[in-house]
Parts: sequence; structure tokens; C-alpha cells
Amino acid sequence: MFYTIIEQVVNGIVSGSVYAIVAVGMTMIFGVLRAINFAHGEYYMLGTFGAWFAIEYFDLPYPVAVVIGVVATAVIAVVVGNFVMQRIVGAPAEAGVLATLGVALILQNTVILVFGGSYKFFSGGYIEPVSVFGFTLAEQRILIIIVGLIVFVGLELMVTYSRMGKAMRAVSQNIECCAVVGIDVRHIALWTFIIGAGLAALSGVLTAPVNVSVYGGMGELITFKTLPIIIMGGLGNVRGTFVAAMILGIAESLVATYVGLQFRDTVGFATLMLVLMWRPHGLFSAQARF
Amino acid sequence: MTPAELSAATTGRDLRLPFGIALVALACVAPLFLGNYPLHAMIIALIFLLPAHGLNLLLGYTGLLSLAQAAFFGIGAYTSALLAVHFGTPFYVNFLAAGLAAGAIALPLGIPALRLRATSFVMCTLGFVIIGQAIAKNWISLTRGDMGLAAIPKPYFALGPASFTVSGTVGFYYLVLAIAAIATLVAYLIVRSPAGRNMIAIRENETLAESVGIPTWHYKLIVFMISAAFAGLGGSLYAHYLTVVSPLTFQMYYSTTMLIIVLGGGAGTISGVIFGSLLFVGLTEALRVAPELRMIAYGFFLLGLVFWFPSGFAPLIGRFWSLLERRK
Repeated sequence: MFYTIIEQVVNGIVSGSVYAIVAVGMTMIFGVLRAINFAHGEYYMLGTFGAWFAIEYFDLPYPVAVVIGVVATAVIAVVVGNFVMQRIVGAPAEAGVLATLGVALILQNTVILVFGGSYKFFSGGYIEPVSVFGFTLAEQRILIIIVGLIVFVGLELMVTYSRMGKAMRAVSQNIECCAVVGIDVRHIALWTFIIGAGLAALSGVLTAPVNVSVYGGMGELITFKTLPIIIMGGLGNVRGTFVAAMILGIAESLVATYVGLQFRDTVGFATLMLVLMWRPHGLFSAQARF
Repeated sequence: MTPAELSAATTGRDLRLPFGIALVALACVAPLFLGNYPLHAMIIALIFLLPAHGLNLLLGYTGLLSLAQAAFFGIGAYTSALLAVHFGTPFYVNFLAAGLAAGAIALPLGIPALRLRATSFVMCTLGFVIIGQAIAKNWISLTRGDMGLAAIPKPYFALGPASFTVSGTVGFYYLVLAIAAIATLVAYLIVRSPAGRNMIAIRENETLAESVGIPTWHYKLIVFMISAAFAGLGGSLYAHYLTVVSPLTFQMYYSTTMLIIVLGGGAGTISGVIFGSLLFVGLTEALRVAPELRMIAYGFFLLGLVFWFPSGFAPLIGRFWSLLERRK
């Protein structure tokens, strides 16, 4: 009994790490562009498809496939960023919603058109089980947790010390002032978007060996899971997002085991509504910024 | 004032009334020259006109962007279907019950949601759709889960001994046309009333509206309920038209479609929403040629709408209109 709970919590931490890497990109995009990116899950899907393609057609090893998946997604993000995302800086909220929904439809259905809508087997990754403190875990799950930590420490350092990171923080606080002091807001917005999409892709490639199957519509579910996380974490708040992602990951894992698997995908929005009734600005913000 | 109104006021020639009459006349005789599939598309568009009017009151007039219309649409569809299948009640009972149910459920959902700022409110309303779908899927004893409810009777009316059933596409078209016309009239009366002025005041500046004594909270909550009721009525028609409902009735697709109708036509005008629903028919008709490219084209359409026509396509018509009037 106790053993099962711990096991489920560990599983929850693994999926929490996955959600955290996706959601942190989305929350950074929100902070800088002030737009909910409804296409965010699509970059997760693109990363996975890139890696799947590299393994299936060129027989490349998994680590190379990871790089290819992320780079391919970043290239697409440059195009989308230039033609769509930069234009919605400063546009009304419904413009952002409609434009990113449009991007999601285009990306998802193009992939389905090119590769077909069926489920595909993802054969890469490290699926050997290893034993840690008496628990058996697949190597891939440990890798996910480690990469998650590296990503968060790296982002924290970048946002605190690098020039780009400081500019991102400044833009997310006040666009007008940044423009006045000569920060190229559109340039920052583009880079934030590329980093966010790249992180989503990384997360997708890391999870693919655990999920085993890959299909064109897989991004939608990820988008819907990420949305409550970034609201709970406080929009634009990197550390809050990490905690919210962990809470959601663990809660989902426990609900799936003790309540029923079919309720897993509603945990996010149900928790979100409970949290918002109690704290309308999210868990980690003192006041609503957006 | 729209350009059309402005030019009509200056030249004194208002073409909108004759144009409106012509449109109504055209709508009345449409089954004579429309084929089966275009007529089907028209029916769907007229059904979507109801939730779209609701969304327009909320987004166009009160300034609240909501993605919850699909949730209330689904609630209306299920209410109607359950009543019709289990109790065999006449159509108008199901129809009104669907509107009432959606409006009533909007009250407890609206109270926490409307406390949120813009972006969080959008997310929360999206959550209603996801949770609604999960309930429809998992409350199997009531909704039969993924199998959905089938064999929903076609609308039948019963008053005393007399009763008749609306069967066939043409009959249904006239039923939906009449209901859509009444809904349009109701929406028009709401926005032309003092309440409509107050809604616009809330949209333009909520703090200012509150400071001049408009009870903004009550207005927002009531408009949210009215928009939900409109969506519920639309859902009822949809259930009776397709004669099946399933958890897929709770889909983001419907919320997106209603957004396209409202924003594509021009939020904040009644005629814009009507135009938007016609545009939607045109779009689905035009995209029918290549089914696999349909959703991609839909996506590009959305981008075009946002970047080139941010206030919808209706103002274009307005510009065309003033050209026409100046010509005379």
C-alpha cells in the first residue's frame, strides 16, 4: 500500500517534470507576448515527430534524434514567430486566441496530411529498468527528471544573469518602457517564442519513449494540460510554474490510481477552478498582473 | 456609428431596410433553389446563430472573451435529448428546458469565473468545456458515455388533441429560420435597451462604469447567463436536427466556430453576427472540395481574419455600401 503510493508519487514527479518543461516555455511566452499560445502542444508534437522521423527513416541513435527533433521544431518556430507571434504583441486578447488556434490547426493537420493520422510506434530511448532505493524505474524516467532539473536551473541562471534573460524579464514587466529605453521588443518576443517552442519539443522527445506511440493529434491534450498549470503558477512566473506542474503531475497520478483513469485528464481544470476560487491570481502571485 | 450608418445619415438614402427585406425574402424561398447539402449547411449556420448571438452579447457588447459556449451548447443538447428520449415531451418543452438548464448552470459557474481577470477568465471558461465533456463521457448511467444518446425524435408539437411533427430538411429549415429570427429580435431588443448601453459602458471602461453607478458585477453575471441560455437553445436544436448527441458535442471546435462567426462578422453588431453565420456557411461549403486540406485552410482563414480584418468582414460590406449609396 505505502509502496504503491510512493511509486505513484514518483511517477507523478516524472510527468510533473514533463509538464514543467512544456509549461515553463508557455508561461515565458505569455509573459513576453501577453498571448495564450493555444498551439503550444503542437510544438511538443512536432519535436516528437522530428525524432520519430529521424529514427524511422534514417535509423539514427536516440540522442541525435532528440537534437533533430528540437532543431526542426525551432526552425518551424522561427517561421511561425516571424509571421504570427510577433504580430500579436500588443494586439487584443481575442486576436492572440484566434491566431494561435489557427496555427494549431495548420501544424496539426499538416502533420496528419504528411504522415497520416494513425498511431506510430516510437522505438528509441532507454527503456531498461534500473533499481534505485528499492524502486524499479525505467532509465528514461530518471533521464526526464534530470533533464527537467537542468532545464530549470539553466533557465533560472539565464533569466537572472544573461542579457537576453534580463531583457525578457523587463519586457514581461512593461513593454512600453522597454521600447522607450531601446530594447527591441519584437526581437525579444521572437527569441522567447523560439526557446519556449524548443522546450516543448524537448519535452515531447523525452516523453516519447515512455508513451511509445506518436500521433498527429497528441499536442491538443498537452495544451489543455499546460493551460491550468500556467494559470495556477501565476502567469509569467517560472518558479510557480514548476511547483504547479509538480502538483498536477502527482495529483493526476494519484487520481488515476485511486479514483479512475478516465478522470485523469480533468484533474488540471478541476484543481484550477478550486484554486482560483480561493486565490484568483494563482497560487504564487500576490496580485493579478494580467 | 458604422460607415454605413454615417453615410445613410448624411445622404438620407437608407438602403439597409430594403436590403434586409430582400435578405429575409431570400431566406424564406431558399429551399426552392438550394440543393440538399447547401440547405443542410444553412440549417447548421442558423443553429449556430443562437450561441453566436449569446457570445456577441458577452464578447461584443460586454467585452468578456469566453470559450464556454460549447459547454452550454452541450448542456442544452443533452437536456433536450434526455427529455425527449426518456419522457417524450414535445419539442417546445425540450427547447425551453435546454435554455433554462444552460442559463441556470451558468450561474454557479459564472460566480467564480467572472472574478478573474481577462486571460484567466478565458482559461476558466475553456475548463468548463473540458469538464463538461468528461462528465458526458463518464456519467454513463445518464448519458450512456461515449455511445451517446441516439434516436432523438424529430421535433413534434402537441397542443391538446392536435399534434404534428417537423420531418424533412425543408420543414426543419423553416423551424430553425423562425427561431433564429426570434432570437435575433431578442438580441436586438437587449442591445437597444438601456441595459445594452450599460453593457457597452462596461466593455469600454469597467471601472468608470462602476463609478457612475452601473452594477457591473450583476450585469456581467446576467449577460453570462443569457449568453449561456442562447447557447443551450442552439444545442437543443442541434440535438433534434442530428437526432444524436455524444460527448463530442462538448468540443473546442464549437467554441472556435462561434468565435469565428462573431469576430468574422464583426463583434458588437447584430447584423455582423448574421453576416458571420452566412460567411461560415460559405466557408464550410467552399472547403468541402478537399476534406483533408479543410482544417489547414480553416487555420489559414483564422490567421487572415486576425491580421487583415481584425474588426471582421462586415465593415468591408459597410464600405461597399457607402460606395453604392454615393453612386446613386
